[in-house]
Amino acid sequence: MTNYFQKRINQWSLSVIIILFIINILNIIYNTPMVPDQHWAQKIFYVHVPSAWVGFLSYFIVMISGFMYLTSRDNRWDNIGLAASEIGTFFISLVLITGPIWATPIWGQPWVWEPRLVTTLILFLIYIGYFMIRAYGGYIERMKRNAAALGIVAFINVPIIFLSVQFWSPDIQSHPQVEMTEQPSEILSPFIFSLIVFTMLYTVMIRYRVYVIHLNNGMNEDV
Amino acid sequence: MFLVLLKKELFIELRSKELILSMVVFGIAIVLAFSFSSNLSRAVVINYASGMFWITVLFVSALGVHRSFAYEKEYDAFSMLVTAPIDRGLIFLAKWVSGFIYLTLMEILIIFPFFKFLMIDYPSNILIAISTTLLVNLGIMAVANLVSGIAMRSNLSEILLPILFFPLVSPIIIAATKISTGVMLNESYGVWEIWVLIVGSIIIISGLAGYALFDYLVEE
Amino acid sequence: MLSVQNISKAFNRKKILKNISFSQKEGESIVFMGRNGAGKSTLFRIIARLMTYDNGSIIFQGKNLLKVKPIHSSKLFYLGHSPGMYHPFSAIENLNFLLSLRKIYKDQLEILDVLDQFGLMESANEPIGVYSEGMLQRLKIVCAQLMDWDMILIDEPFSNLDKDGLDLVQKQISFWRSQNKTISMILHNKNHAKNICDRILTLESGIIK
Repeated sequence: MTNYFQKRINQWSLSVIIILFIINILNIIYNTPMVPDQHWAQKIFYVHVPSAWVGFLSYFIVMISGFMYLTSRDNRWDNIGLAASEIGTFFISLVLITGPIWATPIWGQPWVWEPRLVTTLILFLIYIGYFMIRAYGGYIERMKRNAAALGIVAFINVPIIFLSVQFWSPDIQSHPQVEMTEQPSEILSPFIFSLIVFTMLYTVMIRYRVYVIHLNNGMNEDV
Repeated sequence: MFLVLLKKELFIELRSKELILSMVVFGIAIVLAFSFSSNLSRAVVINYASGMFWITVLFVSALGVHRSFAYEKEYDAFSMLVTAPIDRGLIFLAKWVSGFIYLTLMEILIIFPFFKFLMIDYPSNILIAISTTLLVNLGIMAVANLVSGIAMRSNLSEILLPILFFPLVSPIIIAATKISTGVMLNESYGVWEIWVLIVGSIIIISGLAGYALFDYLVEE
Repeated sequence: MLSVQNISKAFNRKKILKNISFSQKEGESIVFMGRNGAGKSTLFRIIARLMTYDNGSIIFQGKNLLKVKPIHSSKLFYLGHSPGMYHPFSAIENLNFLLSLRKIYKDQLEILDVLDQFGLMESANEPIGVYSEGMLQRLKIVCAQLMDWDMILIDEPFSNLDKDGLDLVQKQISFWRSQNKTISMILHNKNHAKNICDRILTLESGIIK
């Protein structure tokens, strides 16, 4: 049985992503401009937004995997769903941590009722329930079906959750955001680079995690 | 077939009277707790009244829908439903509509104590207040029954149901509070129209998802 | 009538059923025996479409049960270990509900007549929540008698019954056999099985011996 990182392509992809990630961090620290009124706190933006992108992408994959598992009953889709939910929750946790870190010096308080943050928090809570279903959902085969259904239900509600929070109270939402397309290139370019690096990192993480889950399941089968 | 299932849901409650009684008593207990714990003037309470009402409804619906599915687990009655030659999505629809009826009945019974205990005036436009409340009830029950279907056969279904239900129902609660506040303060429809549309979207999405997914959720 | 091919089922990755295959002709009666935990009830619940399975196929009256809607298995009736009814409802109300689920319309007098045959006439209007286990078992057989089916799966038809109940149920099963109905039963007592089946299949460690 070949170890995952004995394969050339996996070695290369891990090496490349480590190098790119280091470059990304150094780029953020040294190359990105210092925004006058936000200083160092603004640099969290280059981690916060890509983490959110990866988190939501991951949850989207949970939804697709859930649908595919219910229709095909192929355990590989459940493995992908589980891996995506774990990694997605990791990145979403990162969003919920970096958000308040960014907000505190900018708006003077750690939490703001901004639609994206609140949507992220609600989704995070739903996925706590998802992991509880995985833990307490009964025997494994039934648990997989329930988790797949919840993964579908959770993500299809994301646009609704976002819209409701957005219209909830515009006066509470003190989030002076500048649209990404209107950002100057010295901010936009490193941001796009960070987004790409995070997406590549996610790809490596999910491939490896699916491999480990598959290995784990294979060792536990046919008792 | 839907009417047969709906009739069964309604007659079970008529016979046992467990659900409505427990929902009403629980609802009044929550309203009392709000009255005791909110040391606010009448002028301030009116701003929070709709939120308090819908939180009460939220807790009561979680209790009600859990009890509704508990009937199926006792004596394994669900096995007869699942093995019957029927569209399983109809089971979800029957639970949804019956839950909506129970929730509305519960609200009729607690609305008067609610206004009296909190010492606030009734809305001037009763018809709009009733119709918007009915719409929100439909939305809440759609999400509640969908989540209950997912959590039903789990080991910790009593705990999992509220944990899954409350985050998923948050857009409805936001919308319900906005609509009710608008109605209470006699704001024009245009001010809270968007919330009606949001509730309508949730009803459609949750209803369709519940109907489609129930086939997969009912099997062991 | 029924063809089960390579059915496997795992619980928590432990295989309970391993490539179970058997066929049942129309009018044939089969008794399934085996130790507790052998997978007999699981097999019945899978055939009744109450439980999913991991692989294999089940062909009933020429249709693959996995690929058709439940309406196409209306001639297959399952009686599980539990009553499968609502405890606040009376026997008559439960029976009326279950009959209407299958779009069967029976005269109330006919229902009462069958209840009377099984000694449940006096408690016909009481909620079944007050019934004893034996009464519930009899009620299940009443339900089966009123339904319209070509094949029945019964999980332990004789459990919790007194001597009179045993005789009644045995007579009922013999009557069904005389009507050329296809019957599958789970039993633990070989004496019960002797006169009411054409063959006995034993399930052991997830396979048919």
